[in-house]
Amino acid sequence: MTTIKTLTLVDDDDIFVFLTTKIIEQTNLVDLIKVFGNGLDAINFLKENKNNVDALPEIILLDLSMPIMNGWQFLEKYNKLNPTIGKKITIYICSSSISPDDITRAKTISEVSDYIIKPITKDKLIDLIKKL
Amino acid sequence: MALNLIVMEKITDYKYALDESSIVAITDQKGVIKYVNDNFCNISKYSAEELIGQDHRIINSGYHSKEFIKELWTTIANGKVWKGELKNKAKDGTAYWVDTTIVPFLNTDKKPYQYVAIRSDITDRKKGEEDLKNTLKEISDYKYALDESAIVAITDQKGIITHVNNNFCKISKYSTKELIGQDHRIINSGHHSKEFIKELWTTIANGKVWKGELKNKAKDGTDYWVDTTIVPFLNTDKKPYQYVAIRSDITERKKGEDLIKKSNQKAIEHAHILELKNAQLVDFCNIVSHNLRAPLINISMLVDYIEQCQDEIERKEVLVKIKPVINHLMEVFNELVESIQIKQDTEIKADRIILKDCLDKVLRGFETQIKEYEADIQLDLNNAPIIYFPQKYIESILTNLISNSLKYKSPKRKPIITIKTKKEVNNVVVLSVTDNGLGIDLVLHKDQIFKIRKTFHKHPDAKGFGLFMTKTQVEAMNGKIWADSQPEKGSTFFIEFKNQNV
Repeated sequence: MTTIKTLTLVDDDDIFVFLTTKIIEQTNLVDLIKVFGNGLDAINFLKENKNNVDALPEIILLDLSMPIMNGWQFLEKYNKLNPTIGKKITIYICSSSISPDDITRAKTISEVSDYIIKPITKDKLIDLIKKL
Repeated sequence: MALNLIVMEKITDYKYALDESSIVAITDQKGVIKYVNDNFCNISKYSAEELIGQDHRIINSGYHSKEFIKELWTTIANGKVWKGELKNKAKDGTAYWVDTTIVPFLNTDKKPYQYVAIRSDITDRKKGEEDLKNTLKEISDYKYALDESAIVAITDQKGIITHVNNNFCKISKYSTKELIGQDHRIINSGHHSKEFIKELWTTIANGKVWKGELKNKAKDGTDYWVDTTIVPFLNTDKKPYQYVAIRSDITERKKGEDLIKKSNQKAIEHAHILELKNAQLVDFCNIVSHNLRAPLINISMLVDYIEQCQDEIERKEVLVKIKPVINHLMEVFNELVESIQIKQDTEIKADRIILKDCLDKVLRGFETQIKEYEADIQLDLNNAPIIYFPQKYIESILTNLISNSLKYKSPKRKPIITIKTKKEVNNVVVLSVTDNGLGIDLVLHKDQIFKIRKTFHKHPDAKGFGLFMTKTQVEAMNGKIWADSQPEKGSTFFIEFKNQNV
């Protein structure tokens, strides 16, 4: 009973990626989980596949603090890329930061659907996927 | 008879001319008016009928003293001509001035039997004189007020002092004698720039008023501040022939201003330090939020997972992941403690560092890498061979920067690293470390470059701690660090060392 084809994790934290992948697998709601360790790898993939609707994810869980290109910088690039993408992608920020500045800033970005403070639970994940 | 006729005619002509041109009255020897002409009537506003038979005192204004009038009468009663200026009163009470000549006509006994008074109207001239007198009085009042209240000096067009008042002597501590004839520069303090003085002279030499604040020097060498207005006095060619300088003592105000300026500067410095501390505090909160919370969450998620996991093999697989996270947490924690120690160790002393020796020591630690990469290390320390900085900080800073230059070398070329020092103004020395490595995209990473746990390259050893520590050490000594970098070209890191005058 899969609901979505692809969910993308953009996060450099190996443990978080490992556990989240396991939890998502247990839900049986997602066909494919794609992982990028930083914003640049993720944005490059989206650019390359902007016309390839099947390869594009339905959901992105985006970390903020990452090397090379962080979450905010990714969102800036995504904002420019978005109009050329042939698919609606729902982006959730998923960060360990509890800084009110980060949470407020996230609210001002229209591409971001919500701000999730880590850790993320199985129930929350199911909720996100089903809500889509 | 014919001669008589001619004489009479001539006399008539003269009388006519006199009547036309002058104010004429004739009185008898007692002063009773016997004749007045039209001009007399016009100016006195009486008719001839009202005047004839009246005592001449009818037009007396009461202005002149008894002695003056007595002198007049004595003169004419003695048969002599009297000339003078008289103030008379017209019928309507208004006064008028007349230039008067009284000619006594004598009988055969040489006694006056009548007086002919010939007058001309000088009311306007008199009024002008009066106005002038008033103006002069006002001017002298002004001068008095100015001398009492202000510091006044007058110089000729070359700046030679021609006049000083008491206030000027008091403040400059010179006597009038010592000042007159001297060049005005005698009170020059040397405080103002050449341009400033030039602007002053250009202004007044062009006939314009100059206003400003001047610092002057008294005879005993002490300084005083004066609010100054210099007014050029112009001759008919509109060229200044003298300058009047009016000053007021503002030394106290200037002292106050200086004090305010100093305390303002201090306040700004304090605010700046507070700002810096605040930024560090925010940084610190972010570090705690990002860098400590993340591994804690990992541990909590791992534990949660293990608790609800049924599969024993999977449990073990996950269990082994806990230890590295704890190690990582410890590492970050220790780094933070280290940085806090630096921030708190405000007492640390600056050592005298011979940079060449220090670099030799640091570079020895990289000997293997330098050989392996065939790195070219160039030193240019002649401009500032010695700095004052804590030994352990400078070693750590140089180690970090050189390590970065080697670690992030370009795979396309052999590393060239240039280490240079330069003396700047205000006892500042700037050290720079330039490499030809990978470079950092500053557009992307400008705010992050010196933050903890921020890395910009996919390098297995990139931890994001070196530059954070370097910045902490530099700032602990009130220094500054910044970078210039272009991807694929290389980076230069600059460090500004303050107070290098020890």
